[in-house]
Amino acid sequence: MIGVCVSAQIARTEPHNPEAGLGERIAENQRRVFQIAYSVLGNSADAEDAAQEAFLRAYQKFASLREAEKFRPWVNRIVFRLALNRQRDYRRRLARDTAWQVTETPVMVDGAKDAEQLVMLDRLRREIERLPEKLRSVLQLSLVEEMDASDVGAVLGIPAGTVRSRLHTARKLLLEVMK
Amino acid sequence: MKNACEIWKDQLLEAALTGSLTAGLEEHLRTCTICSEELGNIRARKARLDTLLPFVAQRSEPSANFRAQVLAAARAAREGKRARPWRVWRLAGATAVVVVVLMMGLTLQRRTARMIPENELAAAQKLTEWRAPSDGLLVTPGQEILRTMPRLGESYLDVPVKTDEEE
Repeated sequence: MIGVCVSAQIARTEPHNPEAGLGERIAENQRRVFQIAYSVLGNSADAEDAAQEAFLRAYQKFASLREAEKFRPWVNRIVFRLALNRQRDYRRRLARDTAWQVTETPVMVDGAKDAEQLVMLDRLRREIERLPEKLRSVLQLSLVEEMDASDVGAVLGIPAGTVRSRLHTARKLLLEVMK
Repeated sequence: MKNACEIWKDQLLEAALTGSLTAGLEEHLRTCTICSEELGNIRARKARLDTLLPFVAQRSEPSANFRAQVLAAARAAREGKRARPWRVWRLAGATAVVVVVLMMGLTLQRRTARMIPENELAAAQKLTEWRAPSDGLLVTPGQEILRTMPRLGESYLDVPVKTDEEE
């Protein structure tokens, strides 16, 4: 209810100062948008770039969105697509630049402090990467705070029941491989 | 895990994930210590996974100045857009100036062409027909002979060729 009121207020103030409206929207959505990007990309710098680009795109095309309340799922979709594209580009570059290398470059992980946990988290990320895309997307989005099955389904265009079923399969596969 | 217990593998994973055992698995676990041990291991792995998974996304936050950065970028983009019409007007203005200058040049050129006086035109015509006085000195008698002389393969005599009927 508060969110709707704030959005309505933003819609009223927007024509006079567009950045004021954007500022409110960033405040409401930044944590979730950033986490979506982070769950896909795995590092803060890239996630922040993707989140920033998502907000700018949403801001530039906001006129095409008739209902201000739909901003949340809209920006979720934008950031998820942007993060996936960035990750694909990164993988392509990595495959091209390090084709001669045998060893893998260790991935820096933010948030985890313990060394053993860092190693495990690195391994977990690699296992998630190996999951089929349908399962991986559901898992990555489900790990974001404030994202329930219907939110994840809205981003991926699938029903909430399918999200829950895929999430269960993904967790089962991870449980099997993370010995 | 024994080969015979492979059939319980999936159910063990399900049991660890859902926290509930099927009647069949419960009965098997009463008699199979290996599977009971395996279930314990899977449960431990699940606990570890539950601890780690939030780190994949949740324990991360954007930097403190994230909002300011996005707003600055949005402002820059908006100002860039605003500046764009000026660029268009500037280009249009420059094109108009070039067109006006060209038209003025053409008009002036036409007027200048019309204003040439008759006497100047006559003088220009005379100038084109002028020959240098030394041209006469270059003329030699041999030149006329060379002009009228038959060329190689030609005859001095212009005798018509006889046909068979005339003979």
